[in-house]
Amino acid sequence: MTAKQTSKLLSSLFSRIDIEERLTVLHIGPALPETVEYFSNFRCKLFFVDLFSELPQSSDEEGAPSLEEQFAGLLDFPEGTKFDLCLFWDIFNFLDSIAIAAFLGELRPYVTSSTLAHGFAAYKRSTPQTGHLYGIADQGTVNIRPRGQLMSTYTPHAQNELKSRLDYFGISRSVLLPDSRLELLFSISQPGKLA
Amino acid sequence: MIGPSIVIKGTVSGDEDLLVQGRVEGKIELNEHVVSVGESGRVAADIFAKAVNIDGEVTGDITGNEKVVISKSGNVRGNIVAPRVTLEDGAIFKGSIDMDPGDAAVKKVSLAPGVSSSSSGSDDGSPAFDLKSNG
Repeated sequence: MTAKQTSKLLSSLFSRIDIEERLTVLHIGPALPETVEYFSNFRCKLFFVDLFSELPQSSDEEGAPSLEEQFAGLLDFPEGTKFDLCLFWDIFNFLDSIAIAAFLGELRPYVTSSTLAHGFAAYKRSTPQTGHLYGIADQGTVNIRPRGQLMSTYTPHAQNELKSRLDYFGISRSVLLPDSRLELLFSISQPGKLA
Repeated sequence: MIGPSIVIKGTVSGDEDLLVQGRVEGKIELNEHVVSVGESGRVAADIFAKAVNIDGEVTGDITGNEKVVISKSGNVRGNIVAPRVTLEDGAIFKGSIDMDPGDAAVKKVSLAPGVSSSSSGSDDGSPAFDLKSNG
């Protein structure tokens, strides 16, 4: 069953993007029909990376790939790819601080100082897991679908903790949603770290 | 049609529409025609066609000159290039989608009325609160 949630930030996000230019978009999570349908109105290239289905895990086992190696394998985009927009829906709730650092480190070559991002996250550590999948219905509406089952790797960060772990990204706007969740708009706050 | 028990390794080309119910490994080149991969179809090949409909499994890159449709039973791992791509509910897709709907469609979106920035809340009636703006 699909529920709808008003988005205050998607319209703000798209107002900052020149949609007549070709967009390159990174979508972290499974591809949903409405998101593909929405972007089919644009000249764009969408990259879908479902980290939720193959979430990198740190391991002490000898010979096991490091978190960086796992993320590098998953974020293996064609040379020269630069994302205008990243959709981080909920992913930071499932990565601890070390994994967030590894993820952003491997994403760094594909980000520019004008890259923008949108996401959902927890407002505080006690925010319960909702198990949502998200899709864009239109510039003012997000479709919410149940994921099916809750994930054991849920490790929500309080907003201030998340902010301190985002490396070169900063939180430019946040909206408190029901269930103690946040809708977030990100932009590059420390372009010097992209070099 | 390539029947359920047929396995083809190599390049498939021709001058008619194709329905794959069996297995194809290699390349499918039917630039002026429709390629359909049926529910029992298993394709490990790059596909070039006018339109591509996928009900089965495809591992490979897909180029559709008009459109690509992945149905609810479809499972695609690869990169898609087409003016329009449709995923149906339940479709599984991993890869990238490169779309260019043309000037008319893009202008239509850019001219669409914007969403009021004062809109907020969710369908359960609870309000949303804008917490901060850090510039």
